[in-house]
Amino acid sequence: MEDKQLNEKESLELIAQMIRNTQQRLEKVHAIPFLIFGYITVITSIIVWYLQKTTPNSLWNLLWLAIPIVGGITVFALFYNKRPRIRTFVDKAVDYVWWVCGGTVMVATFIPNLWKFVPVLFTVSLLISLGTTLTGLITKVRILVISGIIGIAAALAIPFVKGLDSILFFAAIFIVMMVIPGHILYWKGRK
Amino acid sequence: MFESLDPLLHSELRLAIMSILLSVEEADFVYLKEQTKATSGNLSVQIDKLNEAGYIDVERGFVGKRTRTVCKITPVGVKAFEEYVEALKTYLNLPK
Repeated sequence: MEDKQLNEKESLELIAQMIRNTQQRLEKVHAIPFLIFGYITVITSIIVWYLQKTTPNSLWNLLWLAIPIVGGITVFALFYNKRPRIRTFVDKAVDYVWWVCGGTVMVATFIPNLWKFVPVLFTVSLLISLGTTLTGLITKVRILVISGIIGIAAALAIPFVKGLDSILFFAAIFIVMMVIPGHILYWKGRK
Repeated sequence: MFESLDPLLHSELRLAIMSILLSVEEADFVYLKEQTKATSGNLSVQIDKLNEAGYIDVERGFVGKRTRTVCKITPVGVKAFEEYVEALKTYLNLPK
């Protein structure tokens, strides 16, 4: 392409062609954050469940902090300096969804005594399920929509699961909602 | 009555750059080069012209040890583009 003058019809054709080319880019959802946060949540849940069951102590709950700290640092380290070549409004919308859902999770878990009124595992799994579903809808990735909706339904059932079993139920939600779709997305991305 | 066409936009390469940037949030130099199939030198000159006119923002930085140029359309650029398309319609007898 050169710096040549176009006639009016050519100009309109060029505009249409360039916009069409850009829209043909398939929206890619990164599988890695789903896998990292999925696995860290499942592993942390199982450790907390085991420790609470064998040596009950509320201090074990501090281990939940491993999810944002380890997950956040790992994702930051992997994606730092890897800015994509093109960023669309869809990418931005997905970022906003996760800033809102992730941010609300962080705030909700640090509000003192909130867990006495609303189970924390319910709040966290519901917000992350909503984030997954919205990401799927925005990017038109069906597996995320399906796993997100399953996550929402399962999150609504958490208040009915009593005792420490709710932690295992929470881990199972994350396997269905993040780990499995994460592997499917990763596998599809490599093809 | 024919409206005058913005001379800055009425060139193949600059119009292509603006069309791409209108439909994305931001794009880097390599992506624009691939899409327009222009030479690096020519693309760089046209990006500078659009930047000087305030139609696009250009951010030059580093990714690791490599330089990376990212372009974004500005509100001034969007308005100029809209006016350009409206002017084109008068030439082609398209409804406004």
